[in-house]
Amino acid sequence: MTDPQNTAAPAATVYHDQPSANPIKVETRSVSVRYGDTQALHDVSIRIPDRGVTAFIGPSGCGKSTFLRCINRMNDTIDSARVSGSVLIDGEEVNSRAVDPVVLRARVGMVFQKPNPFPKSIYDNVAYGPRIHGLATKREDLDAIVEASLRKAGLWAEVEGRLGMPGTALSGGQQQRLVIARAIAVNPEVILMDEPCSALDPIATARIEELIDELRENYCLIIVTHSMAQAARVSQMTAFFHLGHLVEYGPTEDMFTNPHDARTQDYITGRFG
Amino acid sequence: MQISLFTVLILMVLTAVGFLVGRRRAYAVSSGHASRLHSLPSYYGYYIALWTGVPAFILLAIYGMFGNDAVNALAGAQMHRAGEPVHAQFEQALSDDEDIARLEAELATLENRRIYAREAIERDSELVPAAGEYPAQSPAERQQALSSEINRLAAEREARAEVLAGQVEAQTDDALARAGFVYSRLSDERRELMINDARAIAFGEGVASRETPEINALASAMRPFHEVLRSSMALAALALAIGGLAYARSRISSSFRARNRVEGAISVLLLLASVIAIATTIGIVLSLLFESVRFFSAINWRIDEFLLGTQWSPQIAIREGQVGQTGAFGAVPLFAGTALITVIAMLVAVPVGLFAAIYLSEYASTGVRGWAKPVLEILAGIPTVVYGFFALLTVGPLLRDALLLLGYENAVTQSALAAGLVMGVMIIPFVSSLADDVINAVPQSLRDGAYAMGATKSETVRQVIFPAALPGIVGAVLLAVSRAVGETMIVVMAAGQGANLTANPLESVTTITVQIVMLLTGDQEFDSPKTLSAFALGLVLFVLTLILNVIALRVVQRYREKYD
Repeated sequence: MTDPQNTAAPAATVYHDQPSANPIKVETRSVSVRYGDTQALHDVSIRIPDRGVTAFIGPSGCGKSTFLRCINRMNDTIDSARVSGSVLIDGEEVNSRAVDPVVLRARVGMVFQKPNPFPKSIYDNVAYGPRIHGLATKREDLDAIVEASLRKAGLWAEVEGRLGMPGTALSGGQQQRLVIARAIAVNPEVILMDEPCSALDPIATARIEELIDELRENYCLIIVTHSMAQAARVSQMTAFFHLGHLVEYGPTEDMFTNPHDARTQDYITGRFG
Repeated sequence: MQISLFTVLILMVLTAVGFLVGRRRAYAVSSGHASRLHSLPSYYGYYIALWTGVPAFILLAIYGMFGNDAVNALAGAQMHRAGEPVHAQFEQALSDDEDIARLEAELATLENRRIYAREAIERDSELVPAAGEYPAQSPAERQQALSSEINRLAAEREARAEVLAGQVEAQTDDALARAGFVYSRLSDERRELMINDARAIAFGEGVASRETPEINALASAMRPFHEVLRSSMALAALALAIGGLAYARSRISSSFRARNRVEGAISVLLLLASVIAIATTIGIVLSLLFESVRFFSAINWRIDEFLLGTQWSPQIAIREGQVGQTGAFGAVPLFAGTALITVIAMLVAVPVGLFAAIYLSEYASTGVRGWAKPVLEILAGIPTVVYGFFALLTVGPLLRDALLLLGYENAVTQSALAAGLVMGVMIIPFVSSLADDVINAVPQSLRDGAYAMGATKSETVRQVIFPAALPGIVGAVLLAVSRAVGETMIVVMAAGQGANLTANPLESVTTITVQIVMLLTGDQEFDSPKTLSAFALGLVLFVLTLILNVIALRVVQRYREKYD
């Protein structure tokens, strides 16, 4: 069966049947990105459901991180990047002039490849977002937000009582969970994760994956990963990118057992990439 | 010419030949299979070239350093020998002369009395006047009186001896003997002058200040020594070169590790270069230290008074017999002036430099950054003397006029404010360039993190980048402070010279560096406390900047470790 999106996308993206019961949270239409003279992304159209994990897989340089950064307009911070096409969150255009990227980024949180806690205390790291967005007026409210965020990120038990410690003094896995807590603290709707486990050891990775699984009940999570196994473990939907094109998109199980495109098959069976 | 160009050329050719010989020899011993050699053939060439050139050039360098002195000493000894008969006549005339005998007897008596007076001073007792010879004097006065009398008589004896020497000279027919006699009676300084004149005549080194028969005699005594020494040195150098070549060539075999030997020679060369740099630094510090010790002993080790005294007027102490000579070396006004100007300069340089750095690294587009950064760094290339007259001729008068307009009556052109402002401008590129490096070293991931949280640019800078870069920025500021403390030209020209102890930036003040310049320019005797105090000031300055630099480098280092 052919998805109606197929007609909107000139690139030959293969869309699987999407039986997801959840409503669509993020939708893009023909998003292209150029860095100066090189085109990094060609006409990507995709519909990402809410309350679930969508994984972007693909070889290095395939444009999956670039695409991720379109969703919270992080490409604005790169001088040479030019984004075209439209990105809709809850049906609202993100790239319009009316949208303040600063406000947008409070709705769309982001976690990076390398843990990047600010050179501040654990408390101040988590309180950073609520403070700049004025989410808490009283100290108690802020304390409550910090505690709730750390609990959701599964870090509370480990740092309780030493919130004044610098965030950079934690271990790599703890730092990554701190950064997730920081992102959660502003109560975003979408959380973008750019290879969140690539700098971590297997145990810390397992911890983060567990966390992602818990978070999907409340958030729309989009995760870029190099590890097919990770995509299979944590995601419900998977998108395969190759050379700046979205090649194939569908439910994870279907993608891994029944890939339609030859390139997808080659990639997930390890024949290239 | 000391070493003839010809000799040097031959040595260079020999060195080149050594290289070729070595390479050919290497091919020969490998019988055409260069891969069997331990090292590449050219390394054997370098090895022989080193053995050919280095010892010979070292010999020539030693000759270049000490050759002149050797010729002078040899010629001088010859002059002495030639003058000996005349000198004997002169000694005879001296001992025959009645005046001399009388003067020497008187001198001996006075010298005894002076010793007696000095002992009295040391015992701290009164003098016992002998047979109404002199009225009641204190031992110190007595010693002084005796000293001047002794000086007078000694001068008289010297004049008489001069007359006798003239007579003896006149009786001598032999020109060489006479020249030798004159030469041997000269004082060291005059002998130095005569040697220089003789060298000028003999070898054309510069222009002789005068020409007398004696100088000509010395010049002709020098020539043969010079010729012999020079040709023997040239021959010895050539022999060394050829010997070295032959020796090195004999060592070459296919298993000889020429590459390692050349490597050793290179490491020696590099070691020498660093030794020169370090030894120079140590030498400068030691000379500062020794001269400072001389100064402190001249002010009776009142280091506390030097460091804590508030009165700075070194020129008073130059007069002899001045009471309280040490009272005028209180350096606090200089320290205060230095601190005042440094603070003003930092008030200008730190905010402006820092903001410029933040703009360049965070806000400016690549294009703007591409031309703005070099332009800012051109500021650092302006000679400080140019800043100096900018301060003196433009900023100083401008400030004064503005202050007069505002009704401040005591406005002066040379003020701490004018010097400090211009010095601040001078230091801006220093601060901005260092801070720019530090800010750029803050990982991009921190910026991304802040932007992804929805922080604006200035929030990111204030709350994330600045705290992360703070240790490095502190290091940069400390380096800038040590630069300001040591800066001389601007303050010499624009801050004035009066050692005022004031916190008012509108008055003229003086700094450590200005005083060092003042103390050491012009004709100075290098044994008065006045001049020596410059070294003590220099030592203080050195210690101060050293401490600042060490702290700054440690801070920067710790910061680097954190993010690498």
